[in-house]
Amino acid sequence: MSGADDPVTRQAAGAAEPGRQRRLAQRLGGQLRNLAPFVTLLFLVVFFGVASPSFVSFGNLANILTQISVTGIMAVGLTFVILCAEIDLSVANVANATGIIVAFFTLQDATVNIANLPLPGAVAIGLALASCFLLGLVNALGIVVIGIPSFIMTLAMLEICAGISALLVRGQIAYSVPGLVQMLGTGSIGPVPWIVIIAALFLAAGHFVLGYTRFGRYVYMVGGNREAAEYSGVNVRAIIAAVMVISAVCSGVAGMLGVAYFGSAQQDEFDNYLLDSISAVVVGGTSLFGGQGGIPNTIIGLFVLGVLNNGLDHINIDSFLKILIRGLILFAALIINVYAQRLRAARPLA
Amino acid sequence: MLELLGIGKSFGGVEALQGVDFTLRDGEIHGLVGENGAGKSTLMKILAGVHADYAGTLRVDGAETRFRSARDARAAGIGMVHQELSVVPALSVAENVFLGAQPVGRLGLVDWRRMAREASEHLEGLGIMVDPRAPMGSLSIGLQQLVELARVLFSGARIIVLDEPTSALSPPEVERLFAVLRRLRDSGKSIVFISHFIDDVLRIADTVTVLRNGRKVETAPAASLDKRGIIERMIGRSHGQLEESYTAEIRLASRASPVVLEAAGLCLGRAYRGINLEIRAGEVLGIYGFMGCGQVELTRTLFGKLPAESGRLKLEGKPLRLRNTAQASRAGLAFVPESRRSMLFGQEPVYKNISISILGRLAAVLLRPAQERGIARGHIERLRIRPPLPDRPLGTLSGGNQQKVALAKWLTYPPKVLVLSEPTRGMDVGAKDDVIKIIRGLRDQGIAVLVVSTEPETVLALADRILVMKKGAIVREFANESVSKDRLLAAA
Repeated sequence: MSGADDPVTRQAAGAAEPGRQRRLAQRLGGQLRNLAPFVTLLFLVVFFGVASPSFVSFGNLANILTQISVTGIMAVGLTFVILCAEIDLSVANVANATGIIVAFFTLQDATVNIANLPLPGAVAIGLALASCFLLGLVNALGIVVIGIPSFIMTLAMLEICAGISALLVRGQIAYSVPGLVQMLGTGSIGPVPWIVIIAALFLAAGHFVLGYTRFGRYVYMVGGNREAAEYSGVNVRAIIAAVMVISAVCSGVAGMLGVAYFGSAQQDEFDNYLLDSISAVVVGGTSLFGGQGGIPNTIIGLFVLGVLNNGLDHINIDSFLKILIRGLILFAALIINVYAQRLRAARPLA
Repeated sequence: MLELLGIGKSFGGVEALQGVDFTLRDGEIHGLVGENGAGKSTLMKILAGVHADYAGTLRVDGAETRFRSARDARAAGIGMVHQELSVVPALSVAENVFLGAQPVGRLGLVDWRRMAREASEHLEGLGIMVDPRAPMGSLSIGLQQLVELARVLFSGARIIVLDEPTSALSPPEVERLFAVLRRLRDSGKSIVFISHFIDDVLRIADTVTVLRNGRKVETAPAASLDKRGIIERMIGRSHGQLEESYTAEIRLASRASPVVLEAAGLCLGRAYRGINLEIRAGEVLGIYGFMGCGQVELTRTLFGKLPAESGRLKLEGKPLRLRNTAQASRAGLAFVPESRRSMLFGQEPVYKNISISILGRLAAVLLRPAQERGIARGHIERLRIRPPLPDRPLGTLSGGNQQKVALAKWLTYPPKVLVLSEPTRGMDVGAKDDVIKIIRGLRDQGIAVLVVSTEPETVLALADRILVMKKGAIVREFANESVSKDRLLAAA
């Protein structure tokens, strides 16, 4: 699932040659990354289907899709970042800040005690998008120009965004967002919620860019071997800067729609989304070391998390135990992720 | 004090050492010389306890022993100072001397005052005058080396192995090092002095051992040897044969074609200085020098990875400023580094490895994998890359074939200048010949080629003109004259 042309790769790699056994192990290693999340998903669906009669239904599928949409939009940008062997810890807080910014520029009900600046909806949305773009640019400059490791830079950005959010709402809750955002966050077209369509569009666009464009190839190559990319004449810093901006803009869109979806804009309302979006990418099998994986992996990861969260609500289980189960699933995914990487690395490159 | 008898060691069927005898007496400086691959490092790794499975006998003070680990070797009093120093620049001189063995007072706290005093006494005992409180990083490289030597001695070493100790030192620093070494010898310590710099070996060593192809050629008192004699023993030809080989060598001819790349007064810290060179169209310029002479950094500068601190570059007469490798590539420069790992993507298929460096010209936005595969097939055929499958993951190819892929990256749109670092390192004979033919073919197309290597054979086989680099400077140019391995070695 790593690229647009993998079937051919598999065929060629499977050609009968000496050392077949080792090659078989390598092939399984390559597929472990893609296979394990899929098997996990099947297992979870079967398990919850048997354990709870209410789990398998069209209505519940729609529930799951809606529940994973906000995470899904964030995870698109994060997939780019992790493929480059970087990390963005600020996604949830950029989302929160952008959601609050769009509400800040919207006329609120008289009961809401926020000193806001009502502007036309299009302007509010434009300003919110510009803000998340700018926040991503600050991340990018910190990483590629100043040379701060992305882990630390985005940790600082996490706090900066929390600060922006806090200053704008000052402990209050805003409820109104521009009409377009309101519609995309809460409305539906026929039986399909708009937010699911938007998430699907983002995932599709992400997959297209990664699999079929020059930029996408550069993302994989920079993640696969940064030094080799640089010595091949690739502007590595520009690619890393671009993925950080993409990540922030995806988060910003997720934040605006999320605010509409939740029905309110307030401090700390996206707190679970950092872990969820990173989990989705990693559980799906995209390599933490960069260069392997992609949007299809992220989609599987989103479903694993979505089914797990939703399914646990359908069976009678201690709600505090759920948190532990989620932690254990993430831990297992990390083990598989690192193990799959080691199997692939067994290939000689003298 | 130390005896190695009939030492043999092979790596996967390749004999790195065969029946080597090596004796080190008390209070002796013993020079060890030989070409790259002659077996010097393998011998020293056995001595350092890195290789435990070898044939032959090792005796320390007459007692037979076998080091199973680096710890065993240290316990027996053997200390190593490598070319790449293992000092901690952020810590003080005293802390570096005591690294891992700080004196502690009651309560387990470090006794800083005692540490500084003892370090100072210890260094002065060796004739090294430095402030023990100064941070290590503020010292010159020569002083850092001496502090590391002091640490090795302080940890109880009686036998000290110095690997290329003078390669990064200026002449006064070499003098200071030699003074310290003589002092150590006179106090009964034994020193193994491994170096490519034969003049240095002859000046400091009492005894010299020459290795060639894993065998000992000779051990003799330094006083009975001269540079020419040592070089002859290293490369295994008699004086007469060498005379013959001069005439057998291709006469180097500089061609009268336009200058493509020109460098004037390039300097970069301690790496290199005052580099002037010009590469002409349709010429292979060779740069020969020992490891660490600054050639690696110079290639990085020419590809925009490591900007020079001063000096100018000109491409086809126009000033060239390179801020990154993407700019260099766009300007028409191409580079294949010495390590294939830093040029290739092991998990990706061959065709993606080839297309990555030309993707900017193949695809504005959308990729065209069919075209990429077509280009890859063309290179696979022309360069005889095996197996001839563009979709095979690169990591499954042999080293020689990987090197061909690394070259193929730049051949679709011929560059103006091609910089190659160690283009034939670690390849079997057949692949080596192929690569040499490919490079000659590129030269004949009119590309300006720069070949940088630590192997005289590579430079001699490829270059039309040779520059010799030594300690960061170009010291000799061979053009329009006959040249051979011994002359290159003597110049470097």
